[in-house]
Amino acid sequence: MLIVDNLHAGYGNSEVLMGASLQVKQGSVVALIGANGAGKTTTMRAISGMIRPTRGAVMLDGQPVQGHGAARIARLGLAHSPEGRKVFGPLSVEDNLLLGAFNHLPRFFGFRAKAEIELERVYELFPRLRERKGQAAGTLSGGEQQMLAIGRALMAKPKVILLDEPSMGLAPVIVQEVFNTIRRLKEAGITLLLVEQFAKSALEVADYAYVMEHGNIAVEGTPAELNQNQRVLAAYLG
Amino acid sequence: MDTSIILQMVVSGAFMGLVYALIAYGFQLTFATSKSINFGQGELVMLSAFFSLTLLNLGLPYWLMVPGGLLFGAALGLVVERAGVRLALEQKSEGWILLTIILGLLGFSAAENIWGRDDRPFPTPISADALHVFGINITPLEISVAIGVFLVMGAVELFKRKTLMGKAFEAVSADRDAAELMGISATRTIMLSYGLSGMVAAMAGILISPITTVGPTMASALILKAFAVAVVAGLDSGFGVVLIGIFLGALESLTSFYLGSGWREAPGLVLLILALAVRPNGVFGKSTMRKV
Ligand SMILES: Nc1ncnc2c1ncn2[C@@H]1O[C@H](COP(=O)(O)OP(=O)(O)OP(=O)(O)O)[C@@H](O)[C@H]1O
Ligand SMILES: [Mg+2]
Repeated sequence: MLIVDNLHAGYGNSEVLMGASLQVKQGSVVALIGANGAGKTTTMRAISGMIRPTRGAVMLDGQPVQGHGAARIARLGLAHSPEGRKVFGPLSVEDNLLLGAFNHLPRFFGFRAKAEIELERVYELFPRLRERKGQAAGTLSGGEQQMLAIGRALMAKPKVILLDEPSMGLAPVIVQEVFNTIRRLKEAGITLLLVEQFAKSALEVADYAYVMEHGNIAVEGTPAELNQNQRVLAAYLG
Repeated sequence: MDTSIILQMVVSGAFMGLVYALIAYGFQLTFATSKSINFGQGELVMLSAFFSLTLLNLGLPYWLMVPGGLLFGAALGLVVERAGVRLALEQKSEGWILLTIILGLLGFSAAENIWGRDDRPFPTPISADALHVFGINITPLEISVAIGVFLVMGAVELFKRKTLMGKAFEAVSADRDAAELMGISATRTIMLSYGLSGMVAAMAGILISPITTVGPTMASALILKAFAVAVVAGLDSGFGVVLIGIFLGALESLTSFYLGSGWREAPGLVLLILALAVRPNGVFGKSTMRKV
């Protein structure tokens, strides 16, 4: 379970997050929606340690992780699939996946065999990745790269996954595929914080949702509640 | 002019060129992970060579001296990373340029004080008696240089491709932030790259010293040429540095043969000037350096 409390963070002297709080319960999918520039990506970065929060707390299964570097937080069980996917372009698809499991694997030899079970699981979820496992990740299509980014996060067997705009820049059919994948992850009991521009679709899969405005959570509730909220309806679900 | 003499010059020069390539390869290793290089790498080569010579003088057999010298080089690489590079990178500044130059100067004075200013011979069990191959003289010593260069580069490339740590090294090179999100510590990977780079530099020193002798001034001569090779070949292609290294080595030896040995350093300098003129962004490539 992930608890974010009164999180402040920013870049240089400009503060972007001003006291955001949210919770992601074990096994739930939580959507974080909001306009461009609201601070959704910044929230994820501050949670995963890519930037240091200036104030507030981030608790991962009861353990405070705020202030640690990204690598350390990843080791503690948080997987952040960042905006823009950020696959390792020159490396093969399979190497990308193996690196996802870096924390669990022997550093020198025998890592491929140790990763077999997780690798199989990811290849079953994304048969396309199996077909392309030897191909350089940078040569995959956008949709395939997104699958790889999700697969790489799964390889870590994390407690929580942060997924930042998986549908970004994808054709509508592929966006549907991405949401189907998220549904399957949810059925598999994965704990997920999802940032999405496609607010409607996000609310369809989510158990709970937060609406972010100007670095703060403006509204929160179950999808049913948000669908009743006139302001949210007009601004985000129109 | 007799073509066999030209061929002889090209071949002898090429062996030297492989050593330049090896040093340039050391630049590539640290540049990949950290977008920084050690401007004092020549001093690192020289200090490692002196240290290895001392090991020999202490009575260590040649084949035990080699790993000792390599370890020393790796340790120096780590010192450079810690003292000259890490803080600058953390502050996203280019302070490492000046700091590594300063560390090099310190290394130079240290060498002069510890080992003196004179060039010293570097004994080796490998014979320098020429073998005749297709009318060209090649010495086992020269062949050992080629073998050593390819062994070290091959080992590092194998490490990068076949081990998970090596793949992590590539991941940090490709996208440092994303690598951190996998739990890979960029700081430790950069340390590793400096350690490897120092080891590679030590190997260059051990290989070249029996041919050139060891002395404090070997540092500046070597770094200049390695630099020229790195600028021309770019900082990402191991194959490129080998090709350009061989080319520069051959060119040097032809130049000194036809124009006199005083002109020996000229091709490296000219190559560097040309490369910088054609690629004004130089070693740092197009966008890499300012992007961070
Ligand atoms: N690296 C950065 N340096 C400085 N300012 C930044 C940086 N990244 C984001 N910002 C600023 O922080 C604010 C929030 O940006 P953020 O990327 O968190 O928004 P977002 O909600 O993810 O938007 P989008 O939906 O467009 O992805 C914006 O005003 C943005 O200009
Ligand atoms: Mg964003």
